[in-house]
This record gives sequence, structure tokens and C-alpha cells, in this order.
Amino acid sequence: MTRDRELRYVGRPIPKMDAAQKVAGRAQYIQDLKKPGMLHGAIKYSDQVHARILSIDASRARKLPGVKAVLTGDDIPLIPIGFMKDNLALKKGKVRQYRDEVAAVAAINSEIAREAVDLIQVEYEPLPAVFDPEEALLPGAPLIHETDAKGGPNKSNRLKLPWNLVCGDVDAGRAASTHVVEDRFSTTWVAHCCLGASGCLAEFDLSGNLTMHSITQIPYLAQNDFGAFLAGLGLEGKNVRILSTTIGGGFGSKLDTHVYEFIAILLAHKTNKPVRMIFSREEEFLAQAPRQPTRIRIAQGCDQYGRLTFRDVDMILDNGAYTSWGATTPSVMMVPISSLYRVPNVRYKATCVYTNNLYSQAMRGYGNPQATFAIESITDQLAEAAGIDPLEFRLLNVNQPGEITPQRFRVTTCGLRECIEGVADKLGWAEHRKNPKKARGFGLGSLIHVGGGARVYKSDGHGMIMRVDDFGKVTVITGGVEIGQGLETIIAQVTAECVGVLPEDITVVKGDTSICPWDVGTHASRAAFVSGNAALAAGAKLKRKILELAGPMMRVDPKDLDLRDRMVFSTYDPEEAMPLDKVLRKAHFTAQGTVLTAEHFYDPPNEMLDKEFKGNLSCSYAYGATGVEVEVDEETGQVEILKYIAAHDVGRALNPLLLKGQVYGAALMGTGMALTEQLVLKDGKVQNDNFLDYKILTALDALPVEPILVEPVDEAGPYGAKGVGEPGCVPVAPAIANAIYDAVGVRIRDLPITPEKILAGLKKKRGGTL
Amino acid sequence: MKTFQYLRPASLAEALDLLARHGPAARLVAGGTDVMVDFKKNGLEADILVSLRRLTDLRYIREGNGQVHIGGLTTLRDLERSSLVARRIPGLADAARVMASVQIRNVATVAGNICNAAPSADTAPPLLAAGTQVRLVSPAGSRDIPLDQFFTGPRKTIRRPDEILTEFVVPIPSGPYSQAFWKHARRKAMDLAMVSVAVHLELEDDLVTCRQARIAHGVAAPTPIRTPEAEERLKGKKITPELLEGIGEASCEETLCRDSIRGQAWYREEIIRVMVRRMALRALERCRMGRPA
Repeated sequence: MTRDRELRYVGRPIPKMDAAQKVAGRAQYIQDLKKPGMLHGAIKYSDQVHARILSIDASRARKLPGVKAVLTGDDIPLIPIGFMKDNLALKKGKVRQYRDEVAAVAAINSEIAREAVDLIQVEYEPLPAVFDPEEALLPGAPLIHETDAKGGPNKSNRLKLPWNLVCGDVDAGRAASTHVVEDRFSTTWVAHCCLGASGCLAEFDLSGNLTMHSITQIPYLAQNDFGAFLAGLGLEGKNVRILSTTIGGGFGSKLDTHVYEFIAILLAHKTNKPVRMIFSREEEFLAQAPRQPTRIRIAQGCDQYGRLTFRDVDMILDNGAYTSWGATTPSVMMVPISSLYRVPNVRYKATCVYTNNLYSQAMRGYGNPQATFAIESITDQLAEAAGIDPLEFRLLNVNQPGEITPQRFRVTTCGLRECIEGVADKLGWAEHRKNPKKARGFGLGSLIHVGGGARVYKSDGHGMIMRVDDFGKVTVITGGVEIGQGLETIIAQVTAECVGVLPEDITVVKGDTSICPWDVGTHASRAAFVSGNAALAAGAKLKRKILELAGPMMRVDPKDLDLRDRMVFSTYDPEEAMPLDKVLRKAHFTAQGTVLTAEHFYDPPNEMLDKEFKGNLSCSYAYGATGVEVEVDEETGQVEILKYIAAHDVGRALNPLLLKGQVYGAALMGTGMALTEQLVLKDGKVQNDNFLDYKILTALDALPVEPILVEPVDEAGPYGAKGVGEPGCVPVAPAIANAIYDAVGVRIRDLPITPEKILAGLKKKRGGTL
Repeated sequence: MKTFQYLRPASLAEALDLLARHGPAARLVAGGTDVMVDFKKNGLEADILVSLRRLTDLRYIREGNGQVHIGGLTTLRDLERSSLVARRIPGLADAARVMASVQIRNVATVAGNICNAAPSADTAPPLLAAGTQVRLVSPAGSRDIPLDQFFTGPRKTIRRPDEILTEFVVPIPSGPYSQAFWKHARRKAMDLAMVSVAVHLELEDDLVTCRQARIAHGVAAPTPIRTPEAEERLKGKKITPELLEGIGEASCEETLCRDSIRGQAWYREEIIRVMVRRMALRALERCRMGRPA
């Protein structure tokens, strides 16, 4: 491990390399992309929530001048999509949600495409619908899918995707408890609200190879999905190339391949022209997939000393009408359920249920914020039942370095204690306990998340190629995806550090599956961790090759050479030096000369969860704690956040500026989820498909976030770093909910925590009625 | 896509002439912050947009004859930055500061906000509470209407299609007075009021006894409204927090709050009860601190 003072670029607050381009409006987003002869796609959505399709009349749309293709479910082969294969690009037979895609148009401009969509007439026979996941489980509930992907009959709306984790003996743990609390919580649909709306551009060459201009977070998995789809179209074995444009925000929304992308492929195939599909903001709310909503029953107990004895969690997940990654969020919810604080006996069961609502997908934290809301709320309730201060209660049960958790996570470094203590100290916890102010409250929430990637797919790998040119400039070709988190900048810093050049010497090439080596995708807060480790390994190889070339030129044993700031020098006599570019040119421009490249495929030593959902999912775990001070207006229920302290165990801050950016952004996103954000569905229909009624926080609502960086350098990470992309938004809602309870004695169990809920709680507490 | 004609008259006379000529096919646009949203969302019913942006002589705030005169094309940002408005119509200054965003306030106009006649129009309650008259001009002449007779329904006013709202006239009371406005919203910018409350208080020289009061609300009925019975109950009384509790309740009785996606009726009523009291106290405090001068 290199010592801090020797680091030249790692650990520095270097601004994002692509920031100026974006601010100046030069970055090219999918909306900016145009191709000769390009057509514009548009989608006809269902106006029924659950109905048989009796007929579709597209004759008027087809006749509209400028329309080049109209497709319905009857015009295309039956190719199931989605990871449960329960969806179709264009629906056939019936619709199960308002967002269901029933037809699509390609036209010479987007106005004509929209007009054509409006001309398509669909005749439906309405079916009974179900919107409540618990009602959907009852016998006799309308079946959303009559058959499963294999054509077998479905008897109920329960997904054949059971999540069951059992560690230790929960019943014995409960029996041995001095204090037990039980409660129920719920979280709702939350939208990603990427500033860049969704879109893609599909084009085929004359041999049937597909190029997809895309904003995906998972280019190589998308390549796989699109390839399988092409096979269904009779184009088996054709090439699929994913070319990424600048991405206007990800947050998990681009972790799956989406229906609109398959529709673009169908239209491009049908017309043999490039077809671009761009979502409106309304479509972004109506036809994207939000955060997975949850209904949670949780019980937790402790012994007479306050040590946790068991945790028992039962969840119902409203899966919506089809299945995307929302149904798999229990895999990450397990992380805090089994391993936040030391709890010996754990049981967790999650049931995913089809309904006629929107389906959900990944969103920052992948279920962790939902689960942590319940865990950290009930932890405060249990502390109160045991008569122990919530801060002290957490410290009593805090995770420790070296422990093996019930789910068999092997914890290496763990800075949770420092995080909690740092937050409490900065908040002024002790003083508040002594002299609480009226209607003011303090609240804490802790977190655990994967910090070294997570093996959720067969490979958790990241491929990287480096080359150095005659001027000493290094090109890094990465399979990673930049979604605004600063991947390029981190790669440049690590590469400059380990090769011995300057960050401005680095060019990062990305976003082309035909050039860049494989990477599983930007998810699980893994990009800096895996790309940093890949850069360390590839950079070391490149440097070794450079020094081996320089040795004979300088008549020094390469072992005694080093490279720093573009200069190769003898470690015995730094005066004995040769500029890097000179070494490279000399090696290149000679008979049988050489140019240098190096590559590395880094796959972290992470384990896939076994059949019992156990195993060391990540080689490093990230911890953190958030503390807030709130003031509640007891007459209106409004909440003001006066202090917001976010401590994160980050291993090492590779770039404190970008890292704090993640913390600030996550604070705002987490607070939105806690207080204001919800997609309102009424009988399956989204009521707020705009930024007026879907309330993300504005610049004026920004919080006084004070980050604390805890750096227990982790051997597994590049220069000791852990992932930090998601953790910031994990413990926000419970910290705020706990603070509100501390302030006015009202516990809110259903997100978002609106002023109405608080005021109703206050009235109930005072014994009044509404 | 629907196309339309975009006309830019250079004078009020020319604008009135265009309105007379095209009738209901024409729609006025000033800042465009409501019209263009409506256009994108619902399509435009009009074939002709008549822009008032060149009528810069309708953009002013001035005092004379014991009144404040505000030109219809005055922007919300102008209101926000005007020391005259801050001094004479502090409730309106409160409202301007919390509307939309700076970018929108830079172009949105006060006449546009009033003529769009949304129940949530933030300039409406403070102007109602201030006892404002509006001047409507047509080729046939002009008429002055009290603002509390202007709104006839959601997005409906008594303005005829051939009329242009050119000016707001706000009386300046002779004795001590002040105002305060509260917008209740879920966030601090870019939001519509869940409910809003404006209170205007005129005091006797003892600075305790109410000479006259006006209380107005947004989103508490199909239009912005005043609550005259509650106002009447304040008249001649010594103002105390206890009295104001009852006034809040009385004001609430005169509203027609409803449930919508943006808020529930019971909560809106609760906020009216609380905020009538708080805004009256704020106005009282402002008055005692010597504002307006």
C-alpha cells in the first residue's frame, strides 16, 4: 500500500473531466443524435388497465403521409422479453397496464409519428383488475398472467420467485428476548427523474447487423438481450454493437433493457432505416419503471442489555404487470436485513405479486433504502422499549471489522462506529439529550451496502486496455459506463498515479462494445472500485513494459528505474533520467520497433449467493450513518431539516470533490424519497406525470449537508477505496422519521412523510379527530 | 402539429384593433409562462397569438393620488424588486418572492397571472386583500372593476375577448396598515400553492384596534376569494391572538376547500385557520415596526 504523502493525484479534489463539455452544452445526448434518413418512432399505449384486445385498426395511421411503418402485436414474431420472459415488445391478446405498448409507428418526423399514433383505434373488452398486492393474492383475484413463460397455467398472481433467508433460529431468538417490537412499514413508487429522458437509435446494416445507440448502464448485458431478440426475428448470430451517447442520469433506470428499445429495433428492422425513439417527460413518468414499492412487517428483539437477539422481516412487493429488476431487489434488501448491526438470528421472506400497476426496477440502493427504512425505524422503537438512548443502542450492536455476518459476509474493514460517533458529535447529540428544544428532534440512520462490487451475475468483471503513444499520452479503453458519477476522472487519476504520468495525459475511451472489453455494468456502486483495480493492474503492466524498454537505453537495470511525472529515472540517482516520450519514440522508431499496450480483466473475489441466499456477496462492505436535526411545525406538520450530517466509510476518498458530490446528490434524492416524492397511482393510472405534481426537491430546498469521510483503507480496493454511489440515499428516510418522532412523538410508517400525515398523527396523539 | 399566427402589435391601440378584428380566434400572450404550457399540454384553441411584449409602456409601478398604479405587463420580478411594492403592498411582495423561479419571474407578468385566473394564482390573494381595482380597456373605452368581482370561475373572468387588462390600481390607506401573505406548498420553489392566505390590516392610531381588514385565499374555492364575514368580525376589535383564532375559523367557514391530488380539504382548512392568525400577527408586527412608512 502506497503511503498518502506519496500519492500525487489519488485523493485530490480534481473536477470532473467532462463537466465543462456538459456545462457548455457540447456533450452529445441521445436527443442530439441524428442519422441520414432517420425515422422517428412513437408508441401507442393502452387506454385500458386490464382488457382483452379485440381488434386494432391502424389503417388510418398507415395512410397518413410521412408514416413509414405501423406495427402491432399481430405483425411481429412472439419474442418474450424481460428476465422472467413475461413481457412482449408489442402486446398481443391483452393489456395489463395503462403503460402497455399496443402499437408503434415510424414516421419522417416525430409530429407525424404522434399524429399517427392517435389515429390507431383499439377495441378492448375490459377485464376486472386488481391494484392491491395483498388482494391480488386472494383466491379468485383476477389473474394478470394466465400462463407462465413456459406456457404452464398460473394458479395465482404470486411470482414463482421466492425469497427466503433463514439464519440461526429466529423463534429461539424471540423467546430469549427481553424486549420485542413489531410494526409495519410501507414505501411507494419513486421515479428516477433523470434530467435526460430515455431514448435510443437503432440501425441495421445491409447484412442485418444491429447498431444500437444507447444510454444503457449495462452495454454488454444489453448486447446479449438484443442478440436474443434478433434471433427471434430470424437474425440469429448477427452482430450487435452498442454505442453509448452521453447519459443524462442513470440511478438504476438503465439497468434493464426496455420495451421502447425493442420497439425501436422492430421499427428499424421493418423500415430498414435508422429509427430514433425519444421519450417525452410524461412518458418518462408513465412508461419507465420506478423504484420497487414495499409493504413490510418487521419484528426485532433484544436482551436485557440491549443486544439484538433476532430480526424477522416479511415483505409483499407489488410487482406490477410485468417483471423487471424490482422483483430482484430482495437480493440486496437482504444485506441490511441480515447484516446491519450484529443480529444472530434473521428471517426474511419476500413475496412478489403481479398487479395491474406499473412494474418497477432498480433504483439507487436496489431495495436497500426501503429495507433500511423499516430496520432503522424499528431499531429506534426497540431502543425506546428497552429504555436505551438510540445512539447508545446502535453503538452496542455496531458491526465490527473482521466479523462474519449471519448471511456469511466476511467483513474486512468497518468504519460504522466512527461514522455513528462522528455524526452524533457533529449533531451535538449529548447536549440535545440534556436540553431538548421544543419541536426539535434528532434522528439517526445507519447503513451497510456492498462496497466492492457484488456478484449478481456470473461475472462481476471489468475489462480494460491501456496504450501509450509516442508522446507519452495514455489511452484507457474501458468497458465501464459513465453515468455522471465521474468514472472517467477516477480512471484518469488512478492511471496517472500508477503509471507515472499526469491526469491530463489520459484519454478515456468508452461506450463501444466493439472496442471496449467486457464489463457487467454500472451498478452496485462498483464502477470506481472495479475500474480502479483494473487500472492499477493494467497500469502496473504498462509501467513495467516502459521501464524494460528504458533500461537498456539508460544502461540501468529496469528494477532500479521508476517513472513519475512523465520522467523515467534511476531510483539511486534521480538525476539520471530520460523523458518518457523520448523512451517511447526511441523504442518505436527503430527497426522492429515496438509500441506499448497492456490489458487487464479484473473480477473481484466476490461470491454469488448460494441456494440459501448466503455467501460473501462483496469483498468489501461500505458503511455509513446519517444524522439530522429537524424542526416540526406542530400546527402545519411541516418539517424543516436544520442539520444534515452524512458520514461514510469510503475506504479512501479517491477524489473528495466527486465523492462529496455523490453524498450531496444522494442526500437530496433520499430526502425527496422521505418527504415529498411519490408517483400517485389511482386504479393503476399515474396521476402526476410531470415535475409540477411529482415533487423532486429544488435548489431552494437544498439541505445543509455536512459530509464526514471515514477512511479505513481497505486492502481490496484501489488505493483502499470502497464504492459510494448508492449508500448516501440508503438511511435518509429513517433518520428523518426518527428525528420527527424525537421532535413531536409521531412515528410515520408510510413514505413519503407528508405534513398531512404528521399533523394527523399529532391530532390523534392529542386525542382529537380530523 | 398545430400551427398558429404570431402577431406582435407595437401599441395598445394596435393590439386592441387586432383583438377586435380576430375575435375569439385570437389569444393574448404576455410572458407566455401559462399560455405556452397550456399549448404544449392541451394544444392551443386559438389560431392567433397576440403578443403584448412590445407594449413596454404597460410595464411600470408608480405612486400617485394616494394609489399605487401597476402596469399589466409588469413582471413578477419587477414586483419582487420594487421598494415601492415592498413598502406599500408588502403582501404582494411576499407573493412575488415565492412564485415559480427567478427565470420564470423574469418574464411572467402580473396581468398574465390574474387573467389566467387559476385558483392558485399567487398574486391574486394579496391584490384582493389590498382592495385592488383592475382597468380593462377595449376599443369602446375603459372600465374599472374591483378585483373581487373579476374572477367568475376556474380560468374564467369577466374580461371580454376584446379587452386588455392594462393596470392595477391599489389604494393606499391613510392610517397605519400592513399586510402579509403565506403560500403553503410542498417545496420552496417551482410549486403551486396547496392553499394561500393574504391578510390586510388597517389599524387605529393605537396600533391595536382594527379599523378595517381584508382576508383573501387562493385554492380555497373555484376562484381566489375574500372572506368578508371574517373581515367584518375583525372590524373595531382589539387584535389579540385569541381573537384571531376565531377569525381563522370564521374565514375557513367561508371557503369551499376540496380534495385533489395536491392536497386534502381538511388539511387546507387547517392551514387557513393557522395562517390567517399567523399572517394577521405578522401584518400587525410589520405595522408596529413602522412598515409601511
